[in-house]
Amino acid sequence: MPFNSPPKLALKILKWFSDGADLEDIIGDMEEMYFDQAESKSSFVAGLLFWRHTFSVITSYALRKRKRNASYSPFFYQNSITMIKNYFKIAIRNFSKHKFFTSLNIIGLALGMSVSLLALSISVAIYRSDDFHEKKDRVYQINTYVDKGDEDRTFGSTYHAVGYHIKERFPFVEDVLKIKSGFRPTVDHFGNNIGFHGYFSDESFFNLFSFNLVEGDPGTALEKPFSIVLTQSAANKLYRDDNPIGKTLETDYGSFTVTGVMADLKQTHLYFEVLTSFSTYEQLQDKLDLKNDWVNFRSNYVYVLLNESTSESTFDRSLSQMSQFVNSFHPEKTVELEIVALDEVVPRWNISDAIGIGWDVPSMLLFMFIGLLVLLPAIFNYINLSLARAIKRAKEVGIRKVVGAEKGHIRAQFIVETMLLALFALAGGVMIFVPMKEQFLDVVIAAEVLDTSFNFNQVTALIVFALTLGLLTGYFPAKFFSRLNPLLIMKGSISQGKVSISGLKKGLVVFQFFLSLVFIIGIATMARQYSYVLSANLGFEKENVLTVPFEGIDKQVALNELGKHPDVNSITAASSLPGVMVSEVNMATSNDIDTFQINQVFIGDQFVDMMKMRLKWEDGVSIEQSNNSLEMVIVNQEFLDQVRVFNTQKDSLLFTLESGKKCRVVGILEDLYFEPLSEVVTPLIFRHSLDKSNHALLSIKSDNVKQTIGELEMIWSDINQDVKFQSAFLDDEIADAYYFLEVQMKFFTYLSVLAITISCLGLLGMVSYSTENRIKEIAIRKILGASPKNLYYLLTKDFAYLILLSALIAIPFSYFFYDKLFLYFLIRHGLGLGVLEVVCGILFLFLVGFISIYWQASRVTRENPAGNLRYE
Amino acid sequence: MKGFIGEFEELVLLTIANMAKSAYGVAILNDISARTNRKLSIGALHSTLTRLEEKGYITSYLGEPTQERGGRRKRYFELTSEAIQALSDMKALRDELWAGSNLQFLKSK
Repeated sequence: MPFNSPPKLALKILKWFSDGADLEDIIGDMEEMYFDQAESKSSFVAGLLFWRHTFSVITSYALRKRKRNASYSPFFYQNSITMIKNYFKIAIRNFSKHKFFTSLNIIGLALGMSVSLLALSISVAIYRSDDFHEKKDRVYQINTYVDKGDEDRTFGSTYHAVGYHIKERFPFVEDVLKIKSGFRPTVDHFGNNIGFHGYFSDESFFNLFSFNLVEGDPGTALEKPFSIVLTQSAANKLYRDDNPIGKTLETDYGSFTVTGVMADLKQTHLYFEVLTSFSTYEQLQDKLDLKNDWVNFRSNYVYVLLNESTSESTFDRSLSQMSQFVNSFHPEKTVELEIVALDEVVPRWNISDAIGIGWDVPSMLLFMFIGLLVLLPAIFNYINLSLARAIKRAKEVGIRKVVGAEKGHIRAQFIVETMLLALFALAGGVMIFVPMKEQFLDVVIAAEVLDTSFNFNQVTALIVFALTLGLLTGYFPAKFFSRLNPLLIMKGSISQGKVSISGLKKGLVVFQFFLSLVFIIGIATMARQYSYVLSANLGFEKENVLTVPFEGIDKQVALNELGKHPDVNSITAASSLPGVMVSEVNMATSNDIDTFQINQVFIGDQFVDMMKMRLKWEDGVSIEQSNNSLEMVIVNQEFLDQVRVFNTQKDSLLFTLESGKKCRVVGILEDLYFEPLSEVVTPLIFRHSLDKSNHALLSIKSDNVKQTIGELEMIWSDINQDVKFQSAFLDDEIADAYYFLEVQMKFFTYLSVLAITISCLGLLGMVSYSTENRIKEIAIRKILGASPKNLYYLLTKDFAYLILLSALIAIPFSYFFYDKLFLYFLIRHGLGLGVLEVVCGILFLFLVGFISIYWQASRVTRENPAGNLRYE
Repeated sequence: MKGFIGEFEELVLLTIANMAKSAYGVAILNDISARTNRKLSIGALHSTLTRLEEKGYITSYLGEPTQERGGRRKRYFELTSEAIQALSDMKALRDELWAGSNLQFLKSK
């Protein structure tokens, strides 16, 4: 016939819209009409008409109804309890039958889950913050939204006057709580200074919040000026077993009376060790008229307790009137007061000047993202491993289908199985995650406030997480198995049984090994830096130097007496230990115009000699020869470089300190790393002052160090019994300063163990997948005379390429990442990336990779070929 | 009276009744177009047929594959006794109303 066929595109669109619904008769009708029209008119007109009919069908009720019918699956109403029981039974049988695969999967998922579990657990704790307050439904925090035109921000704090104003003018407010943060008293505790952090707070604190006041009267504890409430841990620090109530606490703010002891903080957005009354703040500061201060708001927080009969919107309305009033003080910007319910104070998206720790959503999301990054490869591995077992499971699926299982049934079965496995993995993950959580919370600031113990919420969250994970992970294998054609399976061939492995899977293997390699190189590099910083020549002697903090002993006497001991070669003093951070900062100028920042260290006699520091140049004048008008100082090379930047007309060796003190350089030290190697070398001056030194430094030569220290301690307590003798060797102190490297290494070790394990599991899955598929091929090759060597070559070749490829990507990446970026920030004066470390890392990874390939390959090659071929 | 039959639905039902055993999509469509001079789309017709089937006025079955439709089968429609009852009720009502009125029946031009 000369007629064209109906437009294919229209048919395609129609089929796409039909979603599998049966449209045979309708399409038949349409085609019949097309040919009628094409015969009577033209094929063009017929085509147009065909399109018109197509759209009319797409939008018709008929199609919708048929689609609905098509989507009815027996899955929804025929799934009985018996069936689900059967799924569980089969799943358990399968797990115990394939113990190897099951344990691989459980270990992989458990490892992958661990970081996510940590993130989840912390997030749940943060979200449940402040849930325990009895009046939380009526307590609100007042926030301040400030729009300056070019930028707008929301602050957790609000103006000083707001609290007073609300209390006076708003009748429906039951109570107002003003909190001012920044109360940081230092307590002199038997000669030691202990710093605390806390808030100034109204006496209504214990009315609004349900914190447990163990001792003292909650109504009046924060009423009088200079009364203080301690948390239990602060009280233990200061008083141990004594009852602290009524005791006087001498601080740099004045003397306080302890009026209460409260339980340590748990699950709250507040973070403090001590609380003092707000009236203390009112007394201490005299610059501001707090009651009428509509300008300053930093670190001032207001909480409001509404009457039981007052709704949030009433309060909101009154507050917006107040906002207009506030705006009259700020013509250049728009200010709006907002309320936030107590249990919604944390976490927030973006809040400035928040009280306490201020958990925010973005950092939580970032943490969860890292968790997901670790979890994803584990999920892919599970999918790969399940598909690898397809050949073994296919017959089961085939029989189920022949007996009458629908797609939905098969899908449900595999999803149930995965969910069950995910629950097992959860148990394993929890075992990994509990010790990890403790370590992690130790590092995170203020984490002790979070309650991440296994309470109802936490457990629910974890189980829901595992089940969701099982559902999502199980979906792909379920889809695969449910699509299998029972006829083909029963004949013994799976349509998807390709020998080759898709590019995506290959990419996954490469990516996993790439990550592992980067982490391994990371550990090796970190270890290299660690051993380097401990052995590096810092420009001073650090062996056999004993350091003792003075802590209020008579310094000159101590130096004289300790120096008399025969094992002490020489003795001196310094304000900060060499190799550790310098805390004292000063400003210097050499031309009276430009000032620059310097670090200063006060030293005792003979410091430079004793520490064996190298002088590049010296004047012959000792720094001890300073007089009132001119101070002699020793500087480091960096100082001179800094001075050179500025044009000095006069003597470049003269400079002035911020205090106006004139100084003269009498010595320049060479190659000196006085601060940890992670720090930028800053200009440094050494000034002579025993008074301002904090540590005694003793150069010791002794056969029995313990005995010597014991004798030194005797001498020390003869001078002053009240001061404790706390000696430490300088090299230990320096090692402590590099604690961050140790933490870093721990972190990397953990991540790399995780990455290596997961990638090896992935590789195993892939190898077993391809070997399973090639069982017959290998059997035939073997019968035809292939040697085991040939077979190993055949099986490992492809994977060896993949590992090599990942190494090729990982090496340059690691070089740039660690050498140029990471180490630069972590440790500026380190060694960089070592070739040996990289080579060892690669070798290690190859070894692990090949062992896992060999394991699978040897299993197949050893088998009797006859057995594999008889399979049919 | 059970269910409500719309004007177009009634038309479709009566057309099916007129076509005896050969009532399928295109045939019904062509017949209605020829008789009423309406332009109908296949989607609208099948929607109405689906609704009628839902209401229980027609049943359908697939015929044998035929050559001219690319081997696709036709779906044939038949009236149920409920449809006949509903149509009868409708006619009775109309007759009654006609009889009661003083309208004069005009033949179409």
